[in-house]
This record gives sequence, C-alpha cells and structure tokens, in this order.
Amino acid sequence: MLAAEQSKEDTGRVVYSGPANAAVEFLKKEFVGDLLAEQANCDRIPTLWFDRAKVKAVLNCLRENSFAGSRFEMLFDLTAIDERARVHRDGQPSSEFTVMYHLMSFSGNCDIRVKVPLFDADLVLPTVSDLWSNANWYEREVWDMFGIRFDGHPNLYRLVLPPTWEGHALRKEHPARATEMEPFSLNDVQTDAEQEALKFKPEEWGMQKKSEDSEFMFLNLGPNHPSVHGAFRIAVQLDGEILVDAVPDIGYHHRGAEKMGERQSWHTFIPYTDRIDYLGGVMNNLPYVMAVEKMAGIQVPERVKVIRVMLSEMFRICSHLLFYGTFAQDVGQLSPIFYMFVERERIFNIIESICGARMHPGWFRIGGVAQDLPAGWEKRIRELLDFMPARLDEYDSMVLNNGILKRRTQGIGSYTTEEAFDWGITGAGLRATGYEWDYRKQRPYSGYENFEFDIPIAENGDCYDRCAVRVEEMRQSLRIIKQCVDNMPAGDYKSSHPLTTPPRKEKSMKDIETLINHFLSVSWGPVIPPTEVSMAIEATKGINGYYLVSDGNTTSYRTRIRTPSFAHLQMIPAISRGFMVSDLIAIIASIDFVMADVDR
Amino acid sequence: MKWSLESAEKSSAPQRGGNDADEFIRNNVMMVTLEDMVAWGRKNSIWPFNFGLSCCYVEMATAFTSRHDLARFGAEVIRGTPRQADMIVIAGTVFRKMAPVVKQLYDQLLEPKWVISMGSCANSGGMYDIYSVVQGVDKFLPVDVYVSGCPPRPEALLQGLLLLQEQIGKQRRPLSWVINEQGIIQREKDEVQRVVRGPERIAATELRSPDEI
Repeated sequence: MLAAEQSKEDTGRVVYSGPANAAVEFLKKEFVGDLLAEQANCDRIPTLWFDRAKVKAVLNCLRENSFAGSRFEMLFDLTAIDERARVHRDGQPSSEFTVMYHLMSFSGNCDIRVKVPLFDADLVLPTVSDLWSNANWYEREVWDMFGIRFDGHPNLYRLVLPPTWEGHALRKEHPARATEMEPFSLNDVQTDAEQEALKFKPEEWGMQKKSEDSEFMFLNLGPNHPSVHGAFRIAVQLDGEILVDAVPDIGYHHRGAEKMGERQSWHTFIPYTDRIDYLGGVMNNLPYVMAVEKMAGIQVPERVKVIRVMLSEMFRICSHLLFYGTFAQDVGQLSPIFYMFVERERIFNIIESICGARMHPGWFRIGGVAQDLPAGWEKRIRELLDFMPARLDEYDSMVLNNGILKRRTQGIGSYTTEEAFDWGITGAGLRATGYEWDYRKQRPYSGYENFEFDIPIAENGDCYDRCAVRVEEMRQSLRIIKQCVDNMPAGDYKSSHPLTTPPRKEKSMKDIETLINHFLSVSWGPVIPPTEVSMAIEATKGINGYYLVSDGNTTSYRTRIRTPSFAHLQMIPAISRGFMVSDLIAIIASIDFVMADVDR
Repeated sequence: MKWSLESAEKSSAPQRGGNDADEFIRNNVMMVTLEDMVAWGRKNSIWPFNFGLSCCYVEMATAFTSRHDLARFGAEVIRGTPRQADMIVIAGTVFRKMAPVVKQLYDQLLEPKWVISMGSCANSGGMYDIYSVVQGVDKFLPVDVYVSGCPPRPEALLQGLLLLQEQIGKQRRPLSWVINEQGIIQREKDEVQRVVRGPERIAATELRSPDEI
C-alpha cells in the first residue's frame, strides 16, 4: 500500500503509481461508461465500483492481463459490507450491500479493489470461483455471513456457522451477543439433530461411492483429533489407503471476531486481535493498531516501532517453535516438542516480564504501546540471543537432518508458485516454492526497512521445505531482535497525537479542555474519521490483513480480518490427492495453521 | 492416608536410642484401609482425554511438557479416545457448532468421569458474549473444577488438577462387584479453596511493580 502512491494532478484526477495506475487506466478505457465510481480511501489503494453485470469481466481482465509488466496474481480477499446503517458514503454508488474484491500484485507490489453495489431484494452476483480457486471459500463465507448468493458456485453451503443456523450473522439485524438470543440448551434430541446435520454426505460434494474396480471408504477426521491441530474436520475419500479426495469442514472455532469489531470500541477491540492467531500474541495487534493509526493519521515514535518489532519477532519464534515441535511429532518424532517448549517458556518469561502476560498480552495501543519497557529488560533477551542459535543447530540435527523425517516429508504435498497464488497462499508456504516475497521487505511497516535480515526461501514447495523455511526464519528473527536490543531508540512509548488511546495524561490536570478530551477518549474511546483502510503484515502464518471501515464513530462499522490460515486450509485437498492418509497428516502439520486464524 | 518419604539410608538403618523394631516397622510398613488405598490410587492416576478447543489447549499442552510436567501428578497418560479416559479438560471456547460434538465425547467417557473447565470461555463465555459461543460449558455438562484465566497459566491448570485430585481422594467407591448401585459415596464438601486461601491472598503486600523485571 506504500507502493501505490497517489497524487492529484491539476485536473483533479487521481494518479496511482506503477502497475495499479496502468490497471486503472486500462479498465477505464476497456469499460467505458461502466465504471460507477472511483472511491478515495486513506490507504490509497485504487477502489473501483462496477455493476454486477460487468464485475466478472473486470476481474477476469485484471487476472488475465499484465499491467506495466506485472499481473494481479492473487485474489487477496473477498468480502462484503452491510451498508444499510452507514451514514458517510460520499462519492459511493448507493447500495444496501457491497461485495468487495481485493486483488494483489506480487510482481508489481500493489493492490486494487473492485466493489459491487447490491440491494437486499436481489442479492445475487456471478461466482468467480472459476477464476481463482480460493474464491470458493470466500464466496461461501459471504453467503453464510450476509446471505449473498453467487450464481454458478459449485457448492454454496454454509461454511462457518452450523448448517442448522438461521439468519446471516454479519447482517446488521442479526444479534451480536449470545445473551440477546434464546438461552442455549442442548438435550439429547438436539444433540442428535445437530450431529445429523453435520454428517458428511459424499453425494453433496459430487463424490462417487465406488469406482470401476473398488469401493471407496469415507473417513471422518476431526473435529477433535490429535493431529488436526484444533477444532478442524476433514472428510476424506479413500481408495484403500490412497486419498482420492477430501473435503475440509471449518467453523468449529468461529468466535465472531468480525461482529465483535462492530461492537467494541476501537481501543477495546485490541485484546480480541490477540486471539485471532493465538500463537502470534501481540503480533496480531500490529496490523489492527496500524490500520487505526493510519485512519487517525497518527505517527508513532521510533521507540514504539522498535518495541513492536522486537516483541512481534519474539512471538514469531514462539509460534514457529510450536510448529516445529508439532510437525516433528505428527510425523512420529515424539521428543523434539519437549525441547522446544522449554525455549518457548524462556521467551514467555521475557514476554511476561515486559507485558505482564504470556500468550495474549494485548499490549499494543493505538498510537503506542501499553507502557515503557521495564528497567533491565535487555538482560533476559541477551541471554536468549546467546542461547538460542546453538539450540536451533541442535534441533536441525535432531529434526531437519533426520532421515525418517526427510522421507516422510520430502516430495509430499508440494505445489508451485503459480498454484500458491491461485489458492491465496502467503508466508512460508509461498516462500517454500522459491518465490522471495516478504511483506517486511517488500512493503516495510513499523520500521522494518531499518533492519538487516534475509528472506529464506526453498525450492520444492513440499512439506519439508515449508518447515526448513520457518526454521531459517527463526534465525533471521533472532537477528532482528539483536538489532532491536542494540539500537533501542530513547523516547516516548506513546504518540502525542490526540487520538492516541489511552491519551497522555500529563496535561489533563492542568486545563479543562485536555481533561474533557482525556475523559471522553478514555470513556467512549477515540472517534475515528470516516474512511476505509487496509493494513497487512507478515504474520507468523502468512499475510494477515485488516480491512476497517470507519463511519466516524467510536466503533468500527465493519471489521474484516483477512487471515492466512483460512486460505491455506482450503488448499489441502488439492495438494493431498493421491497420497496416503499418513501423508495427509504430514501435509496438515506442515501448513502451520491455528483454527482461530481460520474461523476467527 | 498419610505417608512420607525419607532417604533409604536413614530409614533402613536402626536408629540409636529408640525401639529399633518399632522404628523399623514404622519406616517400612504402611497400615491402611483398602478403601483409602484405592482412593489414593484413583486420585493419582487420572488419565486425561486428548481434547482441546482453542488457545487454552496450548497452555494445557505446555503443562504436559518439561517445565511443568504434569506427569508428576500421574495425569500425563493422554488418551486419544474418550473410552479410555477419566477426565476431560474443556480447554478453550465452546462453540455452538462444536457443542454437540463436545457433548457426545463427554457421553462416551466411562464413569467415573470428571470435567475441568479451563479458561474464561469454558467457564462462562468470558470475553466472547457472541452469537457463536456457548456461555460456559456448564450449560450442558457438569463441571468439577473451574480454572480461571485467559488463558490460565499452566500452573493454574496444575492447581485445578490438584483440587480435583483432592476431591477424588475423598470419594469412596465399592471395592467389588455388587448387585446394587455402583454409586460413589461423597463426603461432605470441604470449603472451596477461594474461601480458605482468601485472607492469605488479601494479606499479600509485596507485589512486583511493573516497571522493572
């Protein structure tokens, strides 16, 4: 989003830089008269409105053509907004619901958004699941949450909420709180009915029950199974022990975080972000607070940036260690995880001494962090920096160089860079295919441009490579943390911008205006000017992005959380066909997902 | 049943200046009722079901690993099937879509069975008063011990387990096959830990200030 700089020419026309501009110009020529509006947002991503009759052609045009030498390879996000209660919509075509497509160009390092206005009486538009494979789940999610139908979608069933659910949760009329709804009850009859509704029916997915020479077996794995890493379910179609096809089923971990964002104030939503990728801790706060800061126009002090980077990288190591251990465990090595959890405890000790909590500190604030670093904070970090490299080397010899592990994971579940783009794969899963693209390098945020570190890549894009990339990332994270400790800037831990929350207190007892503002900001929370923003980071699992719509209120109008794991899980069937069940376990382990990051 | 351990040298050698035989017997022979012995065995061999829902499960897994080592309390034998387990830790948020599954798994646990509710979500819904979350697992399961925290530290889970053990240690079960009911004889409930330790906790004055390590 840094790349797509935007300036106004004398004519008042908006110009974006590079491929994004070329794309906008091209679309304007190609679809003369079809462009409904061009929306200006504070994140400077070109946002073009088209009618639903044209949208598929527009998206196809963006997908097929190259603009100034680069393509829009990925459907980064697809979601909707219920606009019926929104007040500030200057320059936008009227609509009751808006479907938003967010495309991303990796080669051109820019983004583009396409929006479609829809009305409640007729919520239908054509599917794009034939253009991008990953659109399938995104469209199902929009159907589930908003009740918008996609014509031509192969299986437009509910994705997140139970099949028995009534209503569409992200519509404004749907209750948010459980306590606003009928009290929950679950007797034996209800249990049976719910279980029956969850039953996997192969015919719904167009699966044959037998082939010419054999009868298939359908095996249900999860939602509670030791090697599916949380409440995740996958139904597999087997020919003997060979996997013919699979259908992942998610939604067992849906905590309604997006709906929660519409109810919590900008400030009080921060702890909920921690629990999105629950292994990423404060790193989850980062895209959210940066998005809010961008809307509010807050510049944070250098010290804040470095503190944020340092803690985020520590959580990256923590998360990767858990992945490393469970990955080894899932292919049969039971001991590594016991070693790796000792290291995690070490890091949690540091996190705890700085933030006061272990897994979910919720420690970043709009415009800063919760408090300054405690006296003597470097000591334990330096110990860690001395200690870790040797341990990582030891783990290499224990796990990565282990012959059995290699044979179990090399050549298993591999995919190419093109396939990765098609399925929306980001993070280590993308870099393992040999494509060097890291948000921290390509679109530096929070001062990453000031750090020296390498982007590890691999070649084959198989299970082993995904693990190897993450292992090397831990070493790079240690490098970054060392630079943070060595060069921690002095200064404030909070910006002096008036929308900083909680605001600075020094002057609040000296004049009444500041006191009133302080009181309002603490009790109601900050009021963010109406605009829209996308902000993403290189999270532990891939690119984690927040798309926030502010309607000039103390809460967000729409909080969209684009998580990497959601896209990654969808790919499992495509990369597991033809392998054995035990390989499926290795593939699932190598993806490194947490269900909270999938279902939110 | 009360017992203690001493170093081998100390206990086996006859002590000077006492009745050697008495001392020897006291150190090597344990007199106990069979009922007590069974209760002791049951409380120290609780097998948990391998079950996790969300963030809390990570802290639960941490409790199994080296630093916290749940094996010290005999509860490390994680079972992959509910039919072999004694206890289920509801570690995490209970989702509406997941609730029937949780209920079925609980029903598949064989009696006697116990439930630890771990973390605010399982206790009460916690910070997730939202359409897709059941406001506490006790809406459809009986809970023996609630562990607070979001997520609770591994130590908190250990404490929860110890509370459960204490409770199990006081229960008495029939020792052999009998025709009539196989019920558990519960002693009167003791005062809950919160009441017992409340004054002690309130009296704590030395708290670490957050601006230093």
